[in-house]
Amino acid sequence: MGTTLIVAEIQNGAIREASYELAAFAQKIGHDVKSVVIGSGIGDQAEAFAAKGGGEVLTVDQDGVANYSVDAYAIAIKAAVEATSPDVVLVSNTPIGWDVAPRIAAAQDCAFVSDVFNYDDGAFVRRVFNGKLDARVTTSGDRVVATVQPGAVAAFEGSTSGSTKPLEVDLSGAAAKFVETRVAEAKGVDLSKAEIIVSGGRGVGDPEKFPEVIQPLADALGGAMGASRPVVDAGWLPHEYQVGSSGQIVAPKLYIAAGISGAIQHLVGMKGSNFVIAINKDGDAPIFEVADVGVVGDLFEVVPALTEAVKAAKG
Amino acid sequence: MKILVCLKQVPHQDARLDIDGAWIKEDGIKFEINSYDTYALEEALRIKDAGEAEVVVVSIGPDRVTQALRTALGMGADRAIHVKDAEVDGSDSLGLAKVLAAVAKEESPDLVLAGLMADDDNASAVPPMLAELMGVPSATSVMKAEFADGKVTVERELEGGALEVAELPTPCVLAVQTGINQVRYASLKGIMAAKKKPIDAKGAGDLGLAGKVGAGAALAKVEKVYVPPKGDGAEIIEGATGEVVEKLLGKIKELGLL
Repeated sequence: MGTTLIVAEIQNGAIREASYELAAFAQKIGHDVKSVVIGSGIGDQAEAFAAKGGGEVLTVDQDGVANYSVDAYAIAIKAAVEATSPDVVLVSNTPIGWDVAPRIAAAQDCAFVSDVFNYDDGAFVRRVFNGKLDARVTTSGDRVVATVQPGAVAAFEGSTSGSTKPLEVDLSGAAAKFVETRVAEAKGVDLSKAEIIVSGGRGVGDPEKFPEVIQPLADALGGAMGASRPVVDAGWLPHEYQVGSSGQIVAPKLYIAAGISGAIQHLVGMKGSNFVIAINKDGDAPIFEVADVGVVGDLFEVVPALTEAVKAAKG
Repeated sequence: MKILVCLKQVPHQDARLDIDGAWIKEDGIKFEINSYDTYALEEALRIKDAGEAEVVVVSIGPDRVTQALRTALGMGADRAIHVKDAEVDGSDSLGLAKVLAAVAKEESPDLVLAGLMADDDNASAVPPMLAELMGVPSATSVMKAEFADGKVTVERELEGGALEVAELPTPCVLAVQTGINQVRYASLKGIMAAKKKPIDAKGAGDLGLAGKVGAGAALAKVEKVYVPPKGDGAEIIEGATGEVVEKLLGKIKELGLL
């Protein structure tokens, strides 16, 4: 039987939910499970993970890894790989995971697959072309490093009789240095509490169309306007309007997505919405998979007409 | 200061995706520079504008990639390297990183810039791999980079709008996030000037990688791609605009929001 090494991640003082998802993902692969937990003063967290899917948990518990930095983490993970000789290394596809995991694969000269959401009949399954297609990826060689999309599988439930074991590493070769983490600044536009959000995407096509087409529907409904990442990247609207994993996470009663194709990072930000209406000219857009109601058509016809109808209904 | 910018040419974001073999049909579709990479190039050009820097762009791929390199030269890059070799085709991320590491070894850049991910394979793998092979630090999701005294201070985008500040010695590899800057367009003058700028073609053999990269050496292979199975999906409302709007209005009323 092979070995799967889980790289667990600590966030706000506790093992991340995504790490328990890795424990569940490891069960799909079916190997012996070992884990590594990295941080400073992390004994309790390592115990918790050992009891819930982590198996034998190696602890790299040193001041030098109190905060994330790419070189120190790479050293710690490489040491855990050396100690466990895994067939599979699982890392969550988080800002830490995608920063360090490819380095581990390159150092090991082994296969690497990123952002997978399933393991099926010997292959990793992931999305490509921003969610428009899925790809089955097979690997060869003695080892594979894979990053797993957070939320792709349910977290490990149940209990295991794991153990913890300290792993000392020499961090003197780490060149990159952590300086600080800055929390998100207070938003001028707080979408997190909005009951109705009307968001526009790349399909709106022109910055001037937001005040002309999107904002009026939001106003008519008594809601707020949002946007997808490409709109903010293009400078059409400030970052505070951005809905998505790197913007605001929203959970309105009604979310209207106009001209938004539905890249994963956007879906992560709005999947808590109670009811989703999508309007897009591309019937294959991934947004229609998460929407409750979809209109395949021209947003410049539908949205203004809906705005007028809402105004008329409200009298 | 020398900056190496890694560019990938990818199918246009609105290109029709027809499945062909284990990937998509490339005939008859438009290609463009990967959106993330345009921000990397812009960041390099801004460093050049602010002081002294040579900006070298490198891309891997068939003849069509020449167009992407010409665009980059038109935007202001000084010269280009085109790794064009059937022996490199079919490389996995690690194979591509090996090719770029061999180019970096020849060029000895002070800084390597790339995009966080590619719009086609969405892999986010090559830049950190390249850094590992070069033996230098890396940072991904970079939203700000400031250089002083042989060091670079970067702001990395975390979840929910939080940022991580890190300090890296140079040389290093930075994978930039979209939105780090506003990307310029190539000016007509720039495009004319670009015609005289060199594009240096290289193959696997020139880089000492014959037999070490390409489809045969790939450890990760896409077995097939397919349209994701439709889940429950949306209830699609069809009809004339008036009918569609009536039905949408009905749904909004059902939710008790009108």
